[in-house]
Amino acid sequence: MNAERPFIRVVNVSYRYPDGTEALSGINLDIYQGEFMAFVGQNGSGKTTLSKCLNGLFNPTSGDVIVDGLNSKTTSISQMVRRVGYVFQNPDHQLFNSNCWDEIAYGPRNIELPEPEVKTRVAEAARVVGLPETYFGEHPFFLPKGMRQRVAIASILALQPKVIIVDEPTTGQDARQSLEIMDFLADLNQAQGHTVIIITHDMPIVARYARRVVAMGSGRILADGPTAEVFSQPETLAETFIEPPHITQLAQRCRSLGFDPGTLTVEDMLRQFKELVA
Amino acid sequence: MAPIIEIQNYSWRYSYAKMPALNGINLIIEEGAFVGIIGPNGSGKTTLAYSLDGLIPSQYRGIKQGAVNILGREVEAYPAGALQKLVGVVFSDPEAQFTAMTVEDELVFGMENLGLSVPEIRERLEWVTELAELGQLLEKPPYEISGGQKQRVALAAVLAMTPRVMILDEPTSMLDPVSRKRVFDVLVRLKEEQRNTIIVIEHNLENLASLADRMILLSNGELLLEDETHAFFEKMDLLLENGIHPPGAMLFIHRLMQEGYYASRLPLTVDEAAACLTEVVARLKPPGPASSRG
Repeated sequence: MNAERPFIRVVNVSYRYPDGTEALSGINLDIYQGEFMAFVGQNGSGKTTLSKCLNGLFNPTSGDVIVDGLNSKTTSISQMVRRVGYVFQNPDHQLFNSNCWDEIAYGPRNIELPEPEVKTRVAEAARVVGLPETYFGEHPFFLPKGMRQRVAIASILALQPKVIIVDEPTTGQDARQSLEIMDFLADLNQAQGHTVIIITHDMPIVARYARRVVAMGSGRILADGPTAEVFSQPETLAETFIEPPHITQLAQRCRSLGFDPGTLTVEDMLRQFKELVA
Repeated sequence: MAPIIEIQNYSWRYSYAKMPALNGINLIIEEGAFVGIIGPNGSGKTTLAYSLDGLIPSQYRGIKQGAVNILGREVEAYPAGALQKLVGVVFSDPEAQFTAMTVEDELVFGMENLGLSVPEIRERLEWVTELAELGQLLEKPPYEISGGQKQRVALAAVLAMTPRVMILDEPTSMLDPVSRKRVFDVLVRLKEEQRNTIIVIEHNLENLASLADRMILLSNGELLLEDETHAFFEKMDLLLENGIHPPGAMLFIHRLMQEGYYASRLPLTVDEAAACLTEVVARLKPPGPASSRG
């Protein structure tokens, strides 16, 4: 995979807010097409600031963000958002139209696509997120949260970005709703070929879905690698107050018995157990 | 211990809704218990919390059947304000409950309303400040502190009034890992002090399972399961059917039980699970000529 050209290159990026707070310092990161990544770390660690640099909402104070060969500093926002979409943590911060159809059509209209193309894109995005046509005329605020989130995601998908970043997709959702949203993102990743990046505090969700984890703390990348590998470094994670999921902790606690400290699922743990006692 | 909460055949339907939010609930909670309530969104968890502190039926329109008794008395029979001294609720959105300009005033406000003496207020203020680690924040305005700090202030403010029943409605759902851990640390200390009955509504079972004495599962307004925590999680199939995802380590040992490798108590924590697994492996591992090296 590393032989191909990264779709996003983050080169030595620092970001300072106008009040002087250094939110990112010296970030280097290559993101390839088709990845499913998780950005983890406590609040204030720089996850969201980094994400906003990736789609051009923020320009780095120093260093460069290169997306699809375009430097974010010299590229218009409307060019950037066609490539990298960002779904807000709270869909209500992003939804502002009085019906779902207009909400999804807003982005494509804003980048001045011809109206027939807008129609095609809205229909396609609604189909992908599973939003029934009967909802098109509904006010987004009267939909359940899971459905509002889908409208929010559809409005980003309509721009057909290669990369989609979803900020805390499962916050406030129960277990079943969380899996529904995550299965949907996994499908976008696998069937539709989008690069998906989630920002989350939910480590069992990360273990189950993300193939690569970037752990951040105080504006720096503390660890970056395959999920099992990053979760195998509990000391590094502890720096940002993250604990691996219980199944991984159990495997680590029982490492001396022969369990793999990078175990991510109950099924994998069970397989190792059976080999061990066979 | 005497029951502090006794709910009999209780149903509640909001007047705007077709279906009851709670349906035929029977429940007894003993004084001093630490109770966890879980269930999918929309299952009636928050309605149950509101029913215990009297917000339902006094502040909501709807139809009530059956009885909710606190200390042997129906919630409607308490004079205005009296029930809220017995039952305190910490909401998932702490901002909704803040009124003061500093954290200290926020903590003192409720106690003043209770008509406590100044020395008593001072003593309790010290206690909750220490317990919830708010020393650095007392002078700050509540709107300037972080989400996790707000949640601890909200918890401390309710705690300072020493309600005999304290209900926390998803206290960590909006928090990052460090803040979540600190809120649960406060709950651990509260449990150790055993001053009151604590009811926690929470999706995060990794933290809750090791703390709760008893657990309740609500689904579609019905109480599907209520039991001591170990026994509760032993009904794993029922939990999974209802979209509840138990912590992975517990689920793993449950699978060992299902497949006949283990038959003792279900572990609630990673430590307990590690002890279980060590024992099972020691018992089953074929004695090799030399121990295998990995």
